[in-house]
Amino acid sequence: MSRDAIIRAYNEAVFDTDKEAAFEVVNAALSHGMTAEEIVFEVVIPGTEAMMSAITKDPDANLAQHFMTAQIAAEVTEKMLTRFNHPPEVIGRVVLGTAFGDLHSLGKRIVAGCLKALMVEVIDLGVNVPAERFVEEALKHEAQVIAISSMMVHTATGERGCAKVRALLREAGLEGRFKIVVGGAPYRFDEGLYRTVGADNWAADGVAGAKLIAQLIREVKA
Amino acid sequence: MASLLVRTATGEHRLAGAGAYTVRAALEATEWRVPSACGGVGACGTCTVRVVSGPTNPLTTAEHRKLTAEERARGLRLACQLRLEGNAVIELDTPVPSRWQTLPEEDLAPCPGRLPELQGAPYGVAVDLGTTHLRVALWDRQQGRRIGACWGMNPQGVWGADVLNRLSLAQTHPQRGREMAECVRAAVLSAVHDLFELDAGPGNARWAEIGRLVVVGNPAMLALLTEQGGKALLDPANWQQPIDYQPRDPAAWRAQWHLPHLEPLLPGPVAGFVGSDLLASVLATRLLEGPAGSLLLDVGTNTEIALWDGQALHVTSVPGGPAFEGVGLRFGMAAEPGAISRVSAQPGGGGFVCETLGGLPIRGYCGSGLIDAVAVLLEAGHLKPSGRFTTPPGAEGFALDPASPRSALSAADVDAVQRAKAATAAAMAALLELAGMRWRDLGRLCVCGAFGRHLDLGHAQAVGLLPRLATGRIELHANAALTGCERALLAADAEAMFFTVAGKIKMINLSFIQGWEDRYISHLRLEPIPLFSNPRDAP
Repeated sequence: MSRDAIIRAYNEAVFDTDKEAAFEVVNAALSHGMTAEEIVFEVVIPGTEAMMSAITKDPDANLAQHFMTAQIAAEVTEKMLTRFNHPPEVIGRVVLGTAFGDLHSLGKRIVAGCLKALMVEVIDLGVNVPAERFVEEALKHEAQVIAISSMMVHTATGERGCAKVRALLREAGLEGRFKIVVGGAPYRFDEGLYRTVGADNWAADGVAGAKLIAQLIREVKA
Repeated sequence: MASLLVRTATGEHRLAGAGAYTVRAALEATEWRVPSACGGVGACGTCTVRVVSGPTNPLTTAEHRKLTAEERARGLRLACQLRLEGNAVIELDTPVPSRWQTLPEEDLAPCPGRLPELQGAPYGVAVDLGTTHLRVALWDRQQGRRIGACWGMNPQGVWGADVLNRLSLAQTHPQRGREMAECVRAAVLSAVHDLFELDAGPGNARWAEIGRLVVVGNPAMLALLTEQGGKALLDPANWQQPIDYQPRDPAAWRAQWHLPHLEPLLPGPVAGFVGSDLLASVLATRLLEGPAGSLLLDVGTNTEIALWDGQALHVTSVPGGPAFEGVGLRFGMAAEPGAISRVSAQPGGGGFVCETLGGLPIRGYCGSGLIDAVAVLLEAGHLKPSGRFTTPPGAEGFALDPASPRSALSAADVDAVQRAKAATAAAMAALLELAGMRWRDLGRLCVCGAFGRHLDLGHAQAVGLLPRLATGRIELHANAALTGCERALLAADAEAMFFTVAGKIKMINLSFIQGWEDRYISHLRLEPIPLFSNPRDAP
């Protein structure tokens, strides 16, 4: 099986959101002598990026396919990471969660899946996360970015959401250490909202969010 | 000032000064309201009217999306997008349905029992107060006779299909909150009036003899009815504990309802996302009297699930999305006349047959028709398990009946079905696992609510909404919540019945369960749920 054939077969499995088929391709690649590192960097990451960009442009693609693609990327990457000869080189860390009062976890799930494939370590704090916890965990894990997802207007603009995280960072003199990224439906309806709530930036979808977070990590570390 | 001439089946009506508002808003102040499922933001496409003459604003993006080219050519517009730029004449395209429709006897469960010793007012009213529909039954409790039962639209629908819209409106505009409570009261009274007159002829509404009133509903509906606001519902502290929506002052209720002997009973909702309608459905299906491994499923915008393991009733709710109630789809609608309720494939690849409720021309899909459509497209190879069309159908979607553009299904519609069915199936699987059970341990699966009434079980199983249990194990209970209320009317101690069920409940919030999102994503593909595996290993 040639490398091109592997890439083609993997992309086809991802396009059909067929997780089992994707793992079959990966296993075949391993048995053909490809290393786990090669599979992640030459097959999984380009495949996921291609699929995500196709989905974003394709009017017939849907949200369900977004979720499934991100899940396949995350699971294949996680499995390959355990087979890396050297510990994977992580570009940085992000603490990720949904704002206090908000239980919508799926948008965050896409971002987390893509981030793993981009070699960003994700500390997922879950849903309904108090502002204090975002800051505590970011300090504890020495993260560079705090990412807060809100799917409802009142949790995006509320006093106990992003605005509070910003206030806590300011009080503690930590604003230089962490960037805040927000995402979710309310920010799409009002593109200036991220500034109002005190975030450094926002992203419209999961792939864009993952790329933005990777970029901000580099900025913080620079 | 522009004036609007409205033509309906009953004649012509002139509205002066209509130019300042959208046509929908102008009509809202009259009795010729248009149906709406999105609160007037152009998202549902149900408020169609036809412009006969007169200058109006150009078509909006929403109208291009929601109306077919042929409909636009006929002059159809969405009333919520339409503004007058001078005197105009419009026709109401969607006939306003009669307000109350009788619930057929065969759709109602028998409720044996009577209260011969009952003192005082003998009549009782049972109400299932849904976000979209109201179901009302009137009983002579002393004799154990159902005088009649009917259903109609929840009049709050004009303030938005979404409960969040209504709650926030009630919070920001107390006057609107009062109107929303008042219009539901008025609707229940008008239903009761109709039921009395159907039974005994005009002028025979016996208001003074009405005693017990049992109302069940989701927490938002109860909050709006009791005018206690929605603030409590948005507070995380209340998501997993009961909220009390008992009428604070029964005397005030007697005055407001103009019923001197009214004894209102509003069993408390289970938690922020689980209503007392679930308690009523548990009573109706006698879930706790059955074997361990009995599961109750009420599919809706907010899908509620209860699993009886012989000791505890594990309860959860998931936001299934409004797709199965016909909302949020391009041509989605409630299970009303003109809705495609069944789709079947013609043998030999000869296309599809769409059956509508009432045999009327196709207006759109209701939940059961939608499941059928996805299942037959999947079976015929037009759809892949990923939810992709084999051949992209283009902007107008895939018309299952080529003669009717309103039979079209778009990629976004398929997506909505995938997400709704995945949430439902994954939540059932999660509850089973928490109770230490497998799919095959389910002896009963009770599908409650109007959604189940026309459901094709084979199709629901093929797309992975329901597990492939033997047909006899799956029961459909179309009016379960109402039946539960009726049972409560005929019980001497109704409150105790509800308390008993509530006392067995273990409330589970899936958002806090590790791995919930992965489980949900794993159920997104359009394929059957594997029955002989642990739910954890589901596809």
